[in-house]
Amino acid sequence: MGNPLTPAGRRYLARFFPAMFSYVVVLLASLWFIETYHPKGPLLWVLGVAPAIPVIAVIAVMGLYMMEETDEFLRTVLVQSMLWGIGVTLALCTAWGFLENVGVIPHFPLYLVFAVFCGAFGLAQPFVRRRYQ
Amino acid sequence: MKNRLKVLRAERDWSQADLAERLEVSRQTVNALETGKYDPSLPLAFKIARLFGQSIETIFQDEA
Repeated sequence: MGNPLTPAGRRYLARFFPAMFSYVVVLLASLWFIETYHPKGPLLWVLGVAPAIPVIAVIAVMGLYMMEETDEFLRTVLVQSMLWGIGVTLALCTAWGFLENVGVIPHFPLYLVFAVFCGAFGLAQPFVRRRYQ
Repeated sequence: MKNRLKVLRAERDWSQADLAERLEVSRQTVNALETGKYDPSLPLAFKIARLFGQSIETIFQDEA
């Protein structure tokens, strides 16, 4: 195998890991603070939304990689995999929502939607790649 | 689209990695091009043609 990373790929990883690390730190800190001090009002809003900020940063990091990757075949694979990721996520969430509506399955927290997308996006990549082999 | 990349590369005794480096693309791109399942962009097709000193039509065959 051995697929050396493109310069854009290296930049992606150099941005991705700090963003994920800050997500873990911010999430734990926010939960701990809310549990310990039971803040109310604007502070609760700020602490509540805080873990979303590094997740949004990860989304931006993925978008930047898409724009910066100059290798056209890798871009093709990424774009097609992302389309699969979007399609699968929308389909799953729509079906889940209707089932939730009739009360046969529990509520699905929306903050996990991005994780579902990442999973589908990642799983699609080897299948998309295989089409060109 | 069928192409003669593999033959042209073999004539020069280049590996896929050698060709990738000369075209400034990843080895995966060269591999996908050689299978004929991935068609290059026009700029990359011109780059390939220039590298081998041949016209695009002699490297890529537009047939079903």
